Amino acid sequence: MLKCTINGKELEVKEGTTIIEAFHQNGMSIAHYCWHPGLSVAGVCRLCMVEIVGNPRLQIACNTQVTANMVINTESEKVKDAVKWGLDFHLINHPLDCPICDQAGECGLQDQYMAFGKYDPEMAEKKVKKHKVVDLGPTVVLDSERCILCSRCVRFTNEVSKTDELGIFNRGDRAEIGTFDGKPLDNNYSLNTVDICPVGALTSKDFRFRQRVWLLKEHKTICTGCSTGCNIRVFYNKEGLFRNKPVYNKDVNGYWMCDVGRDTYKFVNKSSRLLDGRVAKNGRGEWVLPTVAAEKAGEHLRDAKANSKSIALVLTGQYSVEEYEALVGYFKNELGTDKIFHWINNPDSIDKFDGLLYRGDQNPNTKGLIEVLTKHGIQTQWRALIEGLSTGAIGTVVVAGPENQAAFPDLKAKIMEISRASKLIWMQAGKNEQLEQLEGDVTLIPLKTYVEKDGTFVNYAGIRQHVTKGVAVVPHALSLTEVTALFRGDDVQPEVAPDLVGQGRIHNEFTLVRGQL
Amino acid sequence: MAETKYLSEHYDKKEYRTLEGYKKLGGYEMLAKALKMQPQAIIDEVKASGLRGRGGAGFPTGSKWGFLPNNGEPRYLLCNADESEPGTFKDRVMMEKAPHQLIEGMLISAFAVKSHKAYIYIRGEYMGPTMILEQAIREARAAGLIGKNILGSGFDCDLDLYLGAGAYICGEETGLISSLEGYKGQPKLKPPFPAVQGYLRKPTIVNNVETLAAVVPILRDGAAGYRKYGTEKSAGTKLFSISGDVAKPGTYEVPLGIKLMDFINVEAGGMKPGRKLKAVVPGGSSAPVLTAAECQDATLDYENMAAKGTMLGSGAIIVIDDSRCMVDVLSTITHFYHHESCGQCTPCREGTGWIEKIVKGIVKGDGKPGDVDLLLKISDNMKGRTICALSDAAALPVLSFVTKFRSEFEYFINEKKSQILGTKLYAQSSPYAAHAEAH
Amino acid sequence: MSVVQKPKEVTNWYLPGILSGMGLTFKKMSRNLATVLRGGRALNSRSEMMTLNYPEEKYEYSPRFKGNHVLTVKKDGSIRCTACMLCATNCPADCIKITAAEHDDPTVEKFPIAYEIDILRCVFCGFCEEACPVDAIRMGPEWQRPGVNGAPFVYDIKELAYRPQLKGGIVSVVDEQERHKAGI
Repeated sequence: MLKCTINGKELEVKEGTTIIEAFHQNGMSIAHYCWHPGLSVAGVCRLCMVEIVGNPRLQIACNTQVTANMVINTESEKVKDAVKWGLDFHLINHPLDCPICDQAGECGLQDQYMAFGKYDPEMAEKKVKKHKVVDLGPTVVLDSERCILCSRCVRFTNEVSKTDELGIFNRGDRAEIGTFDGKPLDNNYSLNTVDICPVGALTSKDFRFRQRVWLLKEHKTICTGCSTGCNIRVFYNKEGLFRNKPVYNKDVNGYWMCDVGRDTYKFVNKSSRLLDGRVAKNGRGEWVLPTVAAEKAGEHLRDAKANSKSIALVLTGQYSVEEYEALVGYFKNELGTDKIFHWINNPDSIDKFDGLLYRGDQNPNTKGLIEVLTKHGIQTQWRALIEGLSTGAIGTVVVAGPENQAAFPDLKAKIMEISRASKLIWMQAGKNEQLEQLEGDVTLIPLKTYVEKDGTFVNYAGIRQHVTKGVAVVPHALSLTEVTALFRGDDVQPEVAPDLVGQGRIHNEFTLVRGQL
Repeated sequence: MAETKYLSEHYDKKEYRTLEGYKKLGGYEMLAKALKMQPQAIIDEVKASGLRGRGGAGFPTGSKWGFLPNNGEPRYLLCNADESEPGTFKDRVMMEKAPHQLIEGMLISAFAVKSHKAYIYIRGEYMGPTMILEQAIREARAAGLIGKNILGSGFDCDLDLYLGAGAYICGEETGLISSLEGYKGQPKLKPPFPAVQGYLRKPTIVNNVETLAAVVPILRDGAAGYRKYGTEKSAGTKLFSISGDVAKPGTYEVPLGIKLMDFINVEAGGMKPGRKLKAVVPGGSSAPVLTAAECQDATLDYENMAAKGTMLGSGAIIVIDDSRCMVDVLSTITHFYHHESCGQCTPCREGTGWIEKIVKGIVKGDGKPGDVDLLLKISDNMKGRTICALSDAAALPVLSFVTKFRSEFEYFINEKKSQILGTKLYAQSSPYAAHAEAH
Repeated sequence: MSVVQKPKEVTNWYLPGILSGMGLTFKKMSRNLATVLRGGRALNSRSEMMTLNYPEEKYEYSPRFKGNHVLTVKKDGSIRCTACMLCATNCPADCIKITAAEHDDPTVEKFPIAYEIDILRCVFCGFCEEACPVDAIRMGPEWQRPGVNGAPFVYDIKELAYRPQLKGGIVSVVDEQERHKAGI
């Protein structure tokens, strides 16, 4: 450990720590753009200037290691002036795009200018014009004028994704980020470049112009796109969810997440959700409240208890440990069946891994499910279910279907297979026309998604991560725990929340609330 | 004092270019001598000679060689022949007239620093010197002077030529290394210094053409013999390239420490008839300018130049007489640095462009009253804020021109015409005008 | 400074108050009647008549009156708004609803495909006008707009920018093309 003094505060840091790391470890702020803790040091923005006692020249904090008894200062006029001018140099050719720039509101340039800026621009010359709205690839759009050439994105493709798509072309103030001919920015981590871009130069095609960031709230949760379980923030407002961004977690995902995981907000939105329960009545489906559907299903299950061997439960790896515990416990202990099956969606590619984050097992909690099944001593083969269905030994099948239907390529085939049961109780969050069109005794129960409930997910490495309830997109949807209670006949109060989320975006929601005069 | 032909002794003989002729005039004897010496002894000799880097910074060569870590990693010796500083053309002369002198100096230096691979990084525009050097390397390789087991000593050293693509920034040592590695020619962060992690992240020595060539006479005459020339701290001779408004522009070798005015008046044949000295840029376009008054007692050595707030640089003396408009001269210089900034560090990337726009505005007659102070503020904030010295190189001339010739700038802004020429002169006089307009 | 008039003792008496009030009304009525009978000019002669025959006749407000919103247009007639949503953010009544989209023209980039103002929620504070960086929204002199149910009170782009009263749209003072040309 080394002793040093930063702005009059005595600190101890590990050997080899750079000054900027020392600042961050101790929660002190320092102006910077190009430095990113997950990338190599570029030292090009020249904003993290510090004064070191004994050194007449200002040094950059990102490339200077702390030495014993170093006295560092960022509060002198000299440093403040250097940072002010550094910011002004960044801004002189930066266009006045804030009104149409997606980054406005979370922009490094805006934030740092408020904190460290010069406030009297002296640039009266014409700004440099560069390319705007450049299509870099299927996910990212570039605006070269806004770019401050911090090279974070270039370093990301060099060092993290190792795909080397981006480069800086030309030199001086004509320099621009770009891709090589015929090699667009197209990899599973491309949207991280948008996250680390401190300005609005790189914008995500998916999120572009859909919402201003200050109108969004955020909620920290876990990505359910694969078994890695990256820590993420979902951004939402009353219209629904808009995007996912990674949250730093040293043990799980570092600073990054993949593009597949960024799409996991989509199936949460109301337009792709199963909104009500559905029960069969006189051979036809009828929409009912989810609680009613679950109660009816519960009555049936309790009736069938006498012939408990005919009841089967199918589980996917998409739910939390607590839910598995409740449901499996109920089926095993109260209904007395051990016909509980694990639906593996992609057995061929389940062990695949791209070397960075994305895994072939596209369920967030396969490990948790296996854990619960082992605990209850359940060992079954999928074959047994198929056999049971064809012989008629299994009559009632309860399915906790996929939350993320896109990750289940075999969904259609499995529905066909399972719907041979005489009584089918299918629970899932997403809308599925095939399910709605099934004939026979089918009950559908809408479930909550990962941002709407509390629970624990166990990732591929056995790390237990908790998610909490953040939003209520379909407030009256049920979690498996609530469903279990309803099966059992307990009283569950359905959640009542203002049903504003996910109304058509073209319409003014107040008209809908107010109704007709 | 008369010209001292020490390094350039045989430059006027045409056969000096060929291996045969070079050998006849005592060439490669020092290599044979060096290969029998201990490498450390050569380094000590160079240290004792007081030889300082001739490329611009003037860093003692012997000390630079001493920084190499002893960790058994392969080492590289790079010769910086990317001579792009406006006003400098001494390396070109050296490579054209005496390619073998450079090769011999490099081989001796490579032996001294225990490098088995050396490169000459030559400026892309230097097609003539490139061909001459290529021929010389071929000859030397055929004669067994380059390659395995040089002169039967057991020392292996390969030497190759690498042609740059014409970027000024590749003359900066880390920029040169980036370019040689095949990357975009951009300076690298220091630390680590090239002596520790340079070319291919291995210990690397980068020296100027003249520095490496000077190793040959140092070994021949010994440190004491070399120190006969020059001053205590600036030992030896140096080739100066003088250009601008003098009667006889060209490259002249003189011992360090002679009077600047003597050099201009004797070697360069004085001013053009009827003209008066106005200013001198003593070390290439990036060195702060000296006024005529400051020139009177200036001597050509590192210390005196530093004391005058400027630098000897690469020894490129640009003489400006009273028929020149300083605003126009500065507009040419600022355009050069704007064009050559690599674009990595923000203050340089944006600052050089900003300065050029302001100066261009003044020259066009669109100057604003606050422009002079703004120029000073901008260049002050570009100075010492970047990875390499290009930002300083762009800022220092602006600072010196504007402070020392402020009245000319203010006249131009107020009257919208040049004090010297009486017109707006952007369109007709600047060689970059058409090019700049096209941008 | 306000002047407070203390009521006289007489005003507390019931009948004299009523009678003097009715007297005033009768006086005005007879004068108006006389004006109308004298000739048809009465309807427009504001100097003599204090009242208007609403809704046939409408009061003209000053151009600076903060009434119904107007979305300005560019010289080519397309909508000026860049969908920055600062007006919606600034709106204390939450009555502005904008849906942005990507424009085909890269120099325009972002534009609103829907811009709706719920005029019944609007408090006519003018904050939207204040917040707009490009002079895209202004508040105009008209404000009465009767309707029988909720729908007509939500004004869309067609209504806000191109209603007949605006005669093809009001041109904004901020011109993007000129800004680009000036190198800002």
